[in-house]
Amino acid sequence: MKRSALWLSLLLFLFSVGFLTYRILGLGYPSIPTVPGQTWRFSIDASIRPKGAETLLALALPFEQPGRIIIEERVFSRQMTLTIVKQGENRLGILSEFGMEEETPVTYTAIIHMRPKRPIRSIRPSLGDFPASVPEEGKALARKLVAGWKDLPPPEKIRAIAETISGQWIHSPPAEGDLRAWGEMRDRLGLETSLLALFSAANLSARIVDGLPLVESITDETDRWVEAWDGAKWVGIRLSTGETFNDLQSWLPLSLGGGRAASVSGGEIANIRYSLNREVLTNWSLHFERIKRSPSLLDRWSLFQLPEDFQRTFRILLLVPIGALMISMLRNLAGFPTFGIFMPVLMALAFRNTGIVYGLGIFFGVLTLGYAVRRVLDKLHLLLVPRMSVLLTLVIASFTLVALVGSKFGVREFMAVGLLPFVILTMVIERFFVLTEEAGVKEGVRTAVGSALVAFLTFETISWEPLQLTFFLYPELLAAVSAFQILVGQYSGYRLSELFRFRKILGSS
Amino acid sequence: MIFAMARRLREAGILGMNRRNAEYIMRYNPRSAFPLVDNKLLTKEVAERFAVPTTSVFLVVKNHGDITKTEPALGDRREFVIKPARGSGGSGIVLIVDRSKQGFITQNGETLSREDFTYHLADILSGIYSLGGHEDVVILEALIHPAPVFEEVTYQGVPDVRIITYRGVPVMAMVRLPTRASDGKANLHRGAIGAGIDLSTGRTMTAVHRSQVVSTHPDTGKPVSGISVPYWEQMLLMAARSMEMTGLGYLGMDLAIDRDRGPLLLELNARPGLAIQIANRKGLWGRLEKVDKAPSQVFATAESRVEWAQKEFKD
Repeated sequence: MKRSALWLSLLLFLFSVGFLTYRILGLGYPSIPTVPGQTWRFSIDASIRPKGAETLLALALPFEQPGRIIIEERVFSRQMTLTIVKQGENRLGILSEFGMEEETPVTYTAIIHMRPKRPIRSIRPSLGDFPASVPEEGKALARKLVAGWKDLPPPEKIRAIAETISGQWIHSPPAEGDLRAWGEMRDRLGLETSLLALFSAANLSARIVDGLPLVESITDETDRWVEAWDGAKWVGIRLSTGETFNDLQSWLPLSLGGGRAASVSGGEIANIRYSLNREVLTNWSLHFERIKRSPSLLDRWSLFQLPEDFQRTFRILLLVPIGALMISMLRNLAGFPTFGIFMPVLMALAFRNTGIVYGLGIFFGVLTLGYAVRRVLDKLHLLLVPRMSVLLTLVIASFTLVALVGSKFGVREFMAVGLLPFVILTMVIERFFVLTEEAGVKEGVRTAVGSALVAFLTFETISWEPLQLTFFLYPELLAAVSAFQILVGQYSGYRLSELFRFRKILGSS
Repeated sequence: MIFAMARRLREAGILGMNRRNAEYIMRYNPRSAFPLVDNKLLTKEVAERFAVPTTSVFLVVKNHGDITKTEPALGDRREFVIKPARGSGGSGIVLIVDRSKQGFITQNGETLSREDFTYHLADILSGIYSLGGHEDVVILEALIHPAPVFEEVTYQGVPDVRIITYRGVPVMAMVRLPTRASDGKANLHRGAIGAGIDLSTGRTMTAVHRSQVVSTHPDTGKPVSGISVPYWEQMLLMAARSMEMTGLGYLGMDLAIDRDRGPLLLELNARPGLAIQIANRKGLWGRLEKVDKAPSQVFATAESRVEWAQKEFKD
């Protein structure tokens, strides 16, 4: 029997872990559901003035990378139809329409979630060729310019190339003539292309990026910067100053490889506005938005598909088994005395409405009053059921009084008293009385305090939001909880309290 | 420190609650046999068949309607005991030693009015003292006159002997002596003294009072150890027979010694407590393990089991 119980708990545990792993690896669930992140609302408002038969607007849209997820996106245009095209890492939203006549607005919005602790990972890029527009002598010049930097480590090379933007040649400056030729080439081909030529000549991958810095902003044009691969990660280079930067997580790339963030054919962009705003999204809505759109079977069967009101119930309900597990542990491992088995869990649930301090206060207040009344009732010789009914009435009456006092003084927690489990409280009074009669007041108080303590611990557990979220996302964890419950059920060693209880026997031998 | 402590308890063979429940009660006590021990009327029936003497019942009150007929049915009895059939730990038991104009006089000298008497019977019928709160019946039975052996170490009430048997083998025993604090009840929780009994000789040894080791009775001041329990072999045999009687492998039997009738079975307990280990200053677990290693012929008869136990469990 022992072995089979172990197998069963192992099975339950594996079931739980299996589901969990599938969700994390297969469905991209977060392994830690509450890692704080930043959520941004990104929007593009453009107005297109058509010219010609077919108007085509290509918008570079934000794309997902590890550490950056798009929770929601919407395109709104009264006339144009949208197709999304993937080009490498880029996503292009192509809006098109035939024979438009009037200026037409287009709006795109996306909710983007960034996890700052997870750096954006990139795969090692393949080495790019020189840009097509660079002539042969330009290539030769570029090779000549970087020849002296051959032995520098890649990050140093990148810095050296970046410095040339501001006209500084920190390592082995070139000859006067080459420098002049370089200046002419820059004027002819533009800064971006000339820089890419230098990177190419130095055997480094580099790309032009069009995007926005992640700050609250409204702007009518995007930023452009260069990114170069230093062997492990991309390093950004500001085109205006030549400064290098590593915090690529705080930039939002829209288009990689030199393409413009927005372009139009068969018309022109009358005006365009990019805006970025920080959004405050709870962890709950974050997961909700993602799961809502997912086609996978497990996501369609997720608790997030429940109507919101019912979701709230399950956030708590899923944690009650943990409370039960804790009670099993406190009773069987620690030897904690409590009234009844699940009474502390019910109290803990009720404390969510009254708050822990008021809840415990009311609990002990009603218990004391109930005990006093029960002592008096004992002299009246009432039969069991009517006597319990009297106690029940007393409990309800005290609730009413507490609620009225709460209303008078505006204490919400007092008004919520009605949600305490009154039947349980009635039984606790009776059991408390019987226990004090049979085993003494000390034992009765010990048990009452034990119950309150367990209720407190349970309350703290079920109120812990990260745990709520975890169980809500991964309800299969209940199997793991019952695995632990089975394990506790298998424990046949001493309870902590017994170490002290039986100490006397050892003392003599 | 905790682990060292647990190891010392384990080495001393002390039985904990978890192990008692999981490895002995759940394994050896089939649920179906519980009613036999939880209901004193059923216990008496089966004990009779096995020639185990019990207290003599003269009236059973089953319905609230019969309460008023109780007093006339007493006839001229002046002393008796009121017991709930399904009570445990002595709760609900009232010893009546005499009657007066006002009603009944209890063993501690107080008067129980007729009204109180009726109320108490009604309480029992409602199931206040019964395990699990089920409806119950009242047993009225002859009062036990304790044998004089424990007279000097008893404050009122009736001392009782608890013997724990495992697979029909007596493994540990103690006598519970009422004190003033326990209100004349032989209940350790309430402050009665528990004194361990050497199985082989039937003599009391160390005693425990409210988890303190004591050598004298707190009310009478007389030594509680070294008392020879009469009818010892007979009581061990009664306990040993409990397995055939009930089919329960782990059992506590409570007996009282009547000055005229000798040892009488009071009640059986399918979940006997662990305090007996403190009274004996010995671990039960070690003894239970020993029983499991006993040769099979030991278990053949109650006599062979008692003989083996008395040889093995010498103190």
